[in-house]
Amino acid sequence: MADSSKPDPLSTALDNRLDELFREDEPTPAAPAAGKAKTSPLSELKKIVLSIDWEITSEALDGFSEQVRLLKEVYQGDKVILVFLQVLGSLGQYIQSSRSKVHPSTFNVLNSVFARLDEIVSTPKMPPAVRRKLLQAEMDAYQALRTKITQRRAAEPAAARAAPSGTPVRTPASTGGPVTQEMLARAVAELKGFIRTEIDALRQLVTSAARRD
Amino acid sequence: MAFINLKNKIIQVKIVYYGPGRGGKTTNLEYIYRKFHQRIHSEMVTVKTHGDRTLFFDFLPFDIGVINGYQIKIQLYTVPGQVKYNATRRLVLRGVDGIVFVADAMAVRREKNIQALKNLQENLASYKKNLNTIPWVVQYNKMDLVEQGIPVMAVELLEHDINREFKRPAFPASAVKGTNVVATLKKIISLTVASIRKELL
Repeated sequence: MADSSKPDPLSTALDNRLDELFREDEPTPAAPAAGKAKTSPLSELKKIVLSIDWEITSEALDGFSEQVRLLKEVYQGDKVILVFLQVLGSLGQYIQSSRSKVHPSTFNVLNSVFARLDEIVSTPKMPPAVRRKLLQAEMDAYQALRTKITQRRAAEPAAARAAPSGTPVRTPASTGGPVTQEMLARAVAELKGFIRTEIDALRQLVTSAARRD
Repeated sequence: MAFINLKNKIIQVKIVYYGPGRGGKTTNLEYIYRKFHQRIHSEMVTVKTHGDRTLFFDFLPFDIGVINGYQIKIQLYTVPGQVKYNATRRLVLRGVDGIVFVADAMAVRREKNIQALKNLQENLASYKKNLNTIPWVVQYNKMDLVEQGIPVMAVELLEHDINREFKRPAFPASAVKGTNVVATLKKIISLTVASIRKELL
């Protein structure tokens, strides 16, 4: 590391240049028009979507619902955006009710729906046909997710299905038997396999979509 | 190793803002962009990829001009902080020259900071780099939240968790307010350019 090295002409010149470039003697201007990340009406929703990916918390989910509600008011005259927001709202409700049991593809769909919505919101001159095409693609993905969720629920044992939403998945321990390392390892292996299958399926989906485009 | 064009005398320096999700990495870049975009003549780009891994990361390139005959170009990146996006984090770290580790000073984020630092070490190791050799600085972000009554860790505790082994330059900061955002940036650029120069000699 050069942290402790003595100042030399290059370091001095560099520091002077940085001081000149980044002097803070002027008030911070408002976000420039080009700063899409800052000016987007979706910036708060984006942060929440990302935070849900990181960790599903009540705070984030409440914030998500609130943002969707506010945006519905903002865009009440735009049917395409409203449908996007409805899909996002439904996904939020599903995550809220399922928590740790949420289908892993949900986050991909959530992020994808949000990304498309962001694209539409940030492109005011986007032709209506393109907007509808984007919406249709996301609706298809959403419907596919719903089908997967239904199929998974059908495959779950009755006991697990009976678990009330929002509560942790019942483990064998809660029904009387002890949880062994072997059981845990098996569950993890199954989960890994499941995630792998999901990712492969999504990759194929994306590849075929890209080919269609 | 930085991209260096000896013929045209251009040095391209890649600096990555790394840290736990919602720690303020993007806010750092947004502040820099908002405050200096007219001076650095640059655009901040938010890159989105779709598919089975929908990701967000930010990119802010700018030139700092010619220093000792070399045109120095800086590229600032953020990585997605979410756990599931590790492949992207590793990808963004490819060819990294300097790192700003943005820790979240909120008390409830203590474990996330430690996990993110461990994750950084693991990902650097995949490129045969480590935190003892690569230039990096620490930023303890969100220190201003204490004013709102939100529990925030003391700098001493953050130093203990993140920096006791490495003793890197550390900056208590508020990316939202801009406090020490520029100091952090200047420090990492200085350290990184000095390190690249040392490797060149």
